[in-house]
Amino acid sequence: MKIEIISFGKIAEFISDQKIDIAEIADTDSLKMHLETLFPELKGMKYKFALNNQLVQANSIINQNDILAIMPPFSGG
Amino acid sequence: MSAERYNRQIILKGFGEAAQQQLLKAKVLVIGAGGLGCPALQYLAAAGIGHLGIVDDDTVSLSNLHRQILFTTPDIGKLKTEVASKRLQEMNPQIGIVTHPIRLQKGNILDILSRYDYILDGTDNFESRYLINDACALLNKPLIFAAVSGFEGQLAIFNAADNLAGSTNYRDIFPVPPGKGEIPNCAENGVLGVLPGIIGTMAAAETIKLITKTGQPLNNKILNYNLLTHQQYIINISQSSDYVLPKSVAEFLNMEYQDTSEAPHGYEEIDTAALTKLRQQESVILIDVREKHEVPVLDKQVFTQVPMSELNAFITKGFSQKHVVLICQHGIRSVAAAETLQEKFGNSKKIYSLKGGIVKWRDYFMRP
Repeated sequence: MKIEIISFGKIAEFISDQKIDIAEIADTDSLKMHLETLFPELKGMKYKFALNNQLVQANSIINQNDILAIMPPFSGG
Repeated sequence: MSAERYNRQIILKGFGEAAQQQLLKAKVLVIGAGGLGCPALQYLAAAGIGHLGIVDDDTVSLSNLHRQILFTTPDIGKLKTEVASKRLQEMNPQIGIVTHPIRLQKGNILDILSRYDYILDGTDNFESRYLINDACALLNKPLIFAAVSGFEGQLAIFNAADNLAGSTNYRDIFPVPPGKGEIPNCAENGVLGVLPGIIGTMAAAETIKLITKTGQPLNNKILNYNLLTHQQYIINISQSSDYVLPKSVAEFLNMEYQDTSEAPHGYEEIDTAALTKLRQQESVILIDVREKHEVPVLDKQVFTQVPMSELNAFITKGFSQKHVVLICQHGIRSVAAAETLQEKFGNSKKIYSLKGGIVKWRDYFMRP
């Protein structure tokens, strides 16, 4: 299954916007673990997932061609 | 009200006299007269917001001027609220402007916010943002949230219901603030002046849309904007049960917002005058926590090099000095190091962090 990942702010510095193949992964909780293994910088950072423009508040099923956004908090002014 | 002043927006289809009257009656508080606050204030004042409040306790400095466009070179050193108020009043003498040259804290924020109908957060730190979020949620005030990082911006409206659901707040996205130690590196990110100009102007537009019920303001949505590509990505915010908001004034006053003035750290942030005095004492160790490749290089006879990555090993090994001064490039990593040392040593050592770091006190470190 292929999904698209987009990321913002500091996270975009190490996860570029890309399509990835996640054969064994069915939901956002497993994807979070997978991404933190692929990109250890994510661990210990505050960020939030959004799946197809909806903030992910609980584990959610991922479908083919879904768009997952990874958003960190910004504080600058 | 001078209809002529606002003629070009009154004649706008879908806006009109009624919307202009709503602006005139609105009370808007802009918190932070910085990169976001300046453009927001300019457009809100020009558009005829009847009652405009400005909160900022800072003075104008040279490095503000590339993005804080209400201020001019002769304004350096003056209170931002005073300069901004004067400029805005000249721009539009028909509106009321109130200045609050203070730092918002638990003890004063509820009183000030309760005098306004709409709050625009253009501050530059997480402590203020969580304090403002919680105060707005408690008082049920619509909050226009604007923030920047690098070449990107975020914009959202909290505590304002849309027709689909109730309202959300910042904690629905990020339940707790990042810890100081989580900040990945010390160097300030930097910002192109025009980015907060764009995001601050968009925040003013959202405020006007919200007040006049025009278009689709970002209620329960957060917009991510990228200056380099002009890509925009809107995320719908849903409610989370992952956090606790203060439900009463008493609960609010019991919250921890890491206000430097209210919550003692157990370590002290110092300037170079205090550092000079400390260096004359016995039993002092000065620790440079920057990585080894960073410049300027300090005298290694005076400043012990312990990069952040080696700090835990250094602590475990132990050292005898009673006073520990931590130094880094901008004074951010040294705060993280101070927190680590504080946890380890408690009151058995006195811990200091050089506020502003080597960059701020360059002359002190570079003199022969």
